[in-house]
Amino acid sequence: MIKEVITVILLVVGCFFFLAGTLGLLRFPDLFSRLHALTKADNLGLGFIAAGMAVYIASPWVAVKIFFIWLFTLLASSTSSYLIARFQKEQEQTKNRKE
Amino acid sequence: MDIIFIIVSVFLLLNIALGLIRVWRGPTIADRLLTTQLFGTTGMAILLVLTGYLEQLTLLNVAITFNVLAILLVIGLVQVWKKKKGESS
Amino acid sequence: MSVLIDILLAILVIYLALQSLLAPRLSQSVFLFFAFGLALALAWVRLGAVDVAITEAAIASGFLGVLFLDALRDFSPRSSEEQKNISTVQNSRSRNSVKSLLLPRLSLVLGLGLFLLIALEAVWNIPDGGGLAADAEKLLPQSGVEHPVTAVLINFRAYDTWLEIGVILLGLLAVFAVGKIQIYRKPIPVVDDILLRQVILFFTPVLFLFGAFLLYFGKTGPGGAFQAAVLWGAIGILLHLGGRPIFLLIPRWLGQLLLTLGLLFFLILGFLFIAGGATLFEYPPAYAGVLILIVETLAAISIAAALTAMFANLNQMKKEESNKIDSTN
Repeated sequence: MIKEVITVILLVVGCFFFLAGTLGLLRFPDLFSRLHALTKADNLGLGFIAAGMAVYIASPWVAVKIFFIWLFTLLASSTSSYLIARFQKEQEQTKNRKE
Repeated sequence: MDIIFIIVSVFLLLNIALGLIRVWRGPTIADRLLTTQLFGTTGMAILLVLTGYLEQLTLLNVAITFNVLAILLVIGLVQVWKKKKGESS
Repeated sequence: MSVLIDILLAILVIYLALQSLLAPRLSQSVFLFFAFGLALALAWVRLGAVDVAITEAAIASGFLGVLFLDALRDFSPRSSEEQKNISTVQNSRSRNSVKSLLLPRLSLVLGLGLFLLIALEAVWNIPDGGGLAADAEKLLPQSGVEHPVTAVLINFRAYDTWLEIGVILLGLLAVFAVGKIQIYRKPIPVVDDILLRQVILFFTPVLFLFGAFLLYFGKTGPGGAFQAAVLWGAIGILLHLGGRPIFLLIPRWLGQLLLTLGLLFFLILGFLFIAGGATLFEYPPAYAGVLILIVETLAAISIAAALTAMFANLNQMKKEESNKIDSTN
């Protein structure tokens, strides 16, 4: 029983962060602030949902696998944020130079 | 418990549908790529939830496939489009 | 209750499929197509076809992703002046070739019509009573693997799979033909950005390991040669993007060997046991498990090499094309 309560709480918190990420992606004015919204969903949203499912399935092997999913997502999302931001900056600089 | 999983999956799917607005509108290609990254993460979350709901552990492999290939698109965009700039200047 | 997920997924898949065809701008359609791939993978999961879901996830978000981004670069206007040049070149081309295109178009329409008729006839004649699923289940112990999908793909219908590997190779040949076999010149400079290089260095072994895991896991569950091949092909694409084009670094004969290895070994194996009185592509049950693993590994290497070569060619070919347009004007 207590396991299921923890799972539900973690899933709901994860959903909240996904909603926050999506709304941020829609509402923020420019790309650099949107990156900020995306990382919330990547790190915390997926993190909480992964934690919830690891608690629910309750097998050490699966928990390790889920942990690695989260870890790779952290790596990929932080790196891709940096890469996209630098890419956008370069694009804008070349555009300004042309004008 | 099942009903919670269904509600969470539907909620995350609606999130994807909401994010499509940014794909339509997004002024630059980087915005659209960003949205695709968010879709990938949301898809992974849905797959994790479905793993618990369908009690089929092989679904984790689908999630890992999305996971390890997510970076490929970003590197592809950055490297492929960077060369374009070098050519035109 | 779970029908709610299915309905939502179905709406999403159909909407995205339509919109990715009808979207007014090219970049919109490309990114809607990525979302479509994701929704389709989820739909396959809901249908219980995890094998297809893994393949769809790998192809749509990995291989097709970089191919589309590469194509999108070539179709996006670099500057207004160049755009004008390209459009005039295209116009003059299309004006000259209106007449010569009539025959191919007519034959295409006729061929498609014929194909549609054959497909309709095949659907009409589907045998009822579950098809061959029961027979496949019964023969599973003899196939050497425990997962029915792998057994059907590599053992029962090996002929089919062999042709599929051939089709991928044919696709590569078509890419060669379009590129006028001007391949693998001008290597990309090695990336100097330290974070990018570290990420490529980190994900290369991860992709290799997960691909190998999927390849071996195909024996007992969803996975197998094609899924592993896409992941290994992603390694080649990553290294290419990082400035290490594999086919430039290895000798030419080794590249050709890698590309044809899977097809060749599969063919030899298929004919090998005919001498012992077996039919085409029939393996002795005692060695079937080992043989299937070897075939799958070699096929995965070949397909991965073909996917890498396709991307490398398309990525470098278009550069030549745009230079040509620049010089003619």
